[in-house]
Amino acid sequence: MKNWLAALAICAMIMPILPTLAQEGGIRPAEWDAYRQAFVLENGRVVDTYNGNISHTESQGYGLLLAYLASDPASFERIWSFTRTELMVRDDGLFAWKWAPDVEPHVTDINNATDGDILITYALALAGRDWNDAGKTEVAVKLARDIAKATFAKSRAADIMLPAAQGFAEADRADGPIVNPSYWVFEALPVLDALAPEAGWAAVSASGLDIIAGASANRAGLPPDWVSLHALRPAPARGYDPEFAYNNIRVPLYLLRAGIADAQLLEGFAKAFALNGPARTNVETGAVVEAFSEPGYAIIAAALACTLNDTAIPADLQTFAPMSYYGSTLHLLTLDYLRRERSQCLGEAGQ
Amino acid sequence: MRLLPIIATALLLGTAGTALGQFAIPVDAGLVPAAAPPFATRLIAQSPSFAVSPPVAPVPLLAQAPQPQAAPPAAPADGAAAEGTAQPDLTALRYFARQGDTRRVNAEIARLKALFPGWEPPENLLAEDTAPDPDIERMWQLFADGDFAGARAAIAQKQASEPGFAPAPDLLRALELGETAARLRNASEAKQYQTVLSIAANTPDLLTCEYVDLMWRLAEAFIATDAKQRGTDVYTYLLTNCSNPPERFATLQQAMTTLDRAELTPLLALERKDEAGVGEFAPMRLDLARSAIASIVTGKAGKVEPGDLALVQTHADDTRNADDWRLLGWYFVNQNKLETAREQFQKAMDADPSAISANGLAVALLRLDDPAPAEAVLAEYRDESEDMKALYLTAAGSLLAVQPRLELEAEVLERIVAEAVAEKSAPTAQEMGWYAYDFNQPQTAREWFELSLGWDETLEASAYGIVVSSDRLQDQARVQQMKAAWGARSQRIAEFGLASTAGMAAGTVAPTPAPAPNRNSSAQVVVQQQPYQQAPVQVVQQSQPTQQIVQPGVQNAVIVEEVVQQGGASRSANGGRSTTRGCANYMPAGTLSPQQALTRAWCLMELNRTTEAAAAFERALQSTSEATRTDAAYGQSLAYLRLGLADDAAVSAAAAPQSDDRVFELQSAILAQTATRAYDTGDYRRALGALDERSLYAPEQNDLLTLRAWSYFHLGRLNEAERIFAAVAATGYREAAEGLKTVKQTRAAEQQPQF
Repeated sequence: MKNWLAALAICAMIMPILPTLAQEGGIRPAEWDAYRQAFVLENGRVVDTYNGNISHTESQGYGLLLAYLASDPASFERIWSFTRTELMVRDDGLFAWKWAPDVEPHVTDINNATDGDILITYALALAGRDWNDAGKTEVAVKLARDIAKATFAKSRAADIMLPAAQGFAEADRADGPIVNPSYWVFEALPVLDALAPEAGWAAVSASGLDIIAGASANRAGLPPDWVSLHALRPAPARGYDPEFAYNNIRVPLYLLRAGIADAQLLEGFAKAFALNGPARTNVETGAVVEAFSEPGYAIIAAALACTLNDTAIPADLQTFAPMSYYGSTLHLLTLDYLRRERSQCLGEAGQ
Repeated sequence: MRLLPIIATALLLGTAGTALGQFAIPVDAGLVPAAAPPFATRLIAQSPSFAVSPPVAPVPLLAQAPQPQAAPPAAPADGAAAEGTAQPDLTALRYFARQGDTRRVNAEIARLKALFPGWEPPENLLAEDTAPDPDIERMWQLFADGDFAGARAAIAQKQASEPGFAPAPDLLRALELGETAARLRNASEAKQYQTVLSIAANTPDLLTCEYVDLMWRLAEAFIATDAKQRGTDVYTYLLTNCSNPPERFATLQQAMTTLDRAELTPLLALERKDEAGVGEFAPMRLDLARSAIASIVTGKAGKVEPGDLALVQTHADDTRNADDWRLLGWYFVNQNKLETAREQFQKAMDADPSAISANGLAVALLRLDDPAPAEAVLAEYRDESEDMKALYLTAAGSLLAVQPRLELEAEVLERIVAEAVAEKSAPTAQEMGWYAYDFNQPQTAREWFELSLGWDETLEASAYGIVVSSDRLQDQARVQQMKAAWGARSQRIAEFGLASTAGMAAGTVAPTPAPAPNRNSSAQVVVQQQPYQQAPVQVVQQSQPTQQIVQPGVQNAVIVEEVVQQGGASRSANGGRSTTRGCANYMPAGTLSPQQALTRAWCLMELNRTTEAAAAFERALQSTSEATRTDAAYGQSLAYLRLGLADDAAVSAAAAPQSDDRVFELQSAILAQTATRAYDTGDYRRALGALDERSLYAPEQNDLLTLRAWSYFHLGRLNEAERIFAAVAATGYREAAEGLKTVKQTRAAEQQPQF
């Protein structure tokens, strides 16, 4: 009984921080059905269709979050069953990040991916709270502590979060530590902080904003996906293309969803997008490498423009049709944000 | 502060604890029926000493993992849970009965009996005394199909549509166990042993005979985390309490892969016997004895226990098992009990006349200094392999070298000559020379020596043979010519004919030829045979009468010379390493000294017999000389690389200090293999990581550049892939051109990649 009470206490603490996301109906049943049919298998595996049909903690985490936002506990259970039995195997309590269908054993890399762990934990916390499931809340509490233990580090004075437990720390690489700005799922961090107040999530959340700002001080005005914090100034990490690419396209969406009204940060992204459209961009030269063409990416730029300047969202972006797993996920998360927070951006069609 | 209870629980569960036990709390608390007694309790009560009363100070099997004071709620105290109130949910049982699915009915009855001790199934499972709920039946069906995710979804669905619905605790418990078992298996596959231990500690219901595979994984996890005794306890539990014969057999097989011989002894004592008194583990005892003997033969650390030899010997004699006889034969060779070895190989030869039997028998005979039967037994098999050919020539050489000289049968001499010439065997030709010399045929002797030296220009003894036979022929010009050519390299040639050496007879009598190295020791000849030359050979027919049979004949010598010239390049290709030591025949590495093993290992590498080379290097690693160990470690890592075992290569490379050059060479080769293998398993990030690391040691050539490009391609980094493919394709590398084409096709087909 003690555990029940404690779990309820945590729920009470999370309550005031977040609006009740799911009850606003940010994702419509038809949209969620289309997403499920395209990417969620019967056994609860969420498939990355553009990446050899593998799954990973990111896809499982997004699947859980979308199921929660779509108020579909059955799908949530399905996805969680797979995630827990197949990936929650690491000795440190975190999830192995990668699951390949054609290889035995299916876990082909035992390392974790911190953003996937955060997404899963966040979704469990939301479901535990809103669906009265103290068991899920308890798992989330433990994960919030374990993620911090395995991935938090110091970089100079700042509290940072490494992309994984292995391979990115100062000791692991000549240009370490390496971070990935898009791993800061800002809307989730206060929730994890409430679950594990002693773990340091608040400080890490704050440092994320500084890293994004610092890493964007370049010709493109955009942060590269992989950032070295080795030198005084954040710089593109060695061994990766110095590009703002498919990782960081999520960053402005995460800022918007978290309600972070840092005008300078948001306008930096908006300015770059206004120039070239949302595009994979070499941050050192400012040159566009390739345009992001799925509506799931375009709608992020549109949402940013509307939030800053009240520019209406084009009607074609307001209709969801599954394309890639990743673009589709971002599309639904952006629609969810707009419907809850910026419904005026959607005009008549969105009301 | 309000969080304290949960944090406290989590802390008590320890760092290795996973969330599972806690996850299960709300589900199980107060709802769990009387569970089977926890595994740890049963273990202590029932094994290993058959104690009737509990031990005074119980040491729980799982104490290393979070347990027992902080016993998680998922493990209810024995019999305490909701006594008398819990009833089994018979929905599944009745459903399967209606379906006529006998197998599942029985499985469900077994499951319920395990969960509810004393429960008996109703007599009429088809009685319509309850109205079945098709939703609940479907949940059980999904569970029975192993679709735990589907069953979870079905429960959530029904809860959403029927707000008052609560699934039966029995169903939740069954699902929880099923999922947890799957999770334990996955953690075990990923070698996450702390997770395995933690799950086991929190889920004692899984630790029963019913889940024997999970128990094996638990044992493996204990042993891998340095808790060997606890691992042994798990096997002991299974062998004491579980009765399924194939599973018992498999349990011991599992133990054999994780425990040492001595640690298996108490487990073997738990053997059960059938009515005829035959022990269930008899085959394993035999295997253990065999592998103990084999470990001696192959030079691994190990010892033969009392009874091992008798066990294998009895089995071999009873079943006329040639493999076992040969194994025993090699063992006795190793122990230098050569007459016994010969007997074993003779039995093997009688039962299984074959090259491998002949090989062993010949080695034993040669070690016994009895080359005549060795040559005879090998003659029939000399064409079966290059090894047999080489061993035959060794035996032939030993036979020719016997002192006092034997007068060999014409048939024997004919085949020796034929092989010596066909194989261009310089040592055999040299032995022919001495043989002829001792039979007072200096002309013939010199021709053989000349042939021998032609086939191997480094053989000093053959040069010396030319000197003494020329001297006997009073061909001083040739003697002086040889002295001029060899004087700097050979003291005895330089001093030949001088007063100090020939003083005993004032230079009129040629000195007795100093024996060529080793020619009086047939046992060593086996080891030091010349490596078999792969140059094209030509069989030269002999037609001389017996008395002259040892003479190659002028015409034949010409032919032979041509062959020698054709094949001359192969000798310099040896690079100078180990040309004075042979390895063509089979020699167990354990019979060699570390230094001998090292020489032999390099020789085996040249012959591309890489697996044997790795074993020989292993033996050489036992040397007390650091130089030998360093060379052996280097060689072994090259051998493993050749075998495609990059991880083993890395371990070997670290076994002894290496020079910077070697470190660079090995590291770049190891990383190249790691990259290739990672690529093959679809782990493209890791492939790139290995390539990046390798680039610190060596630049990438076209093949690895192309691998890098394909890795980029699979990660969706098409621009980088394209750039590299284009650059490499420009050098005319075809695979890169194909890659370039694929990238372009992909661009056309897809609007954008991921990541």
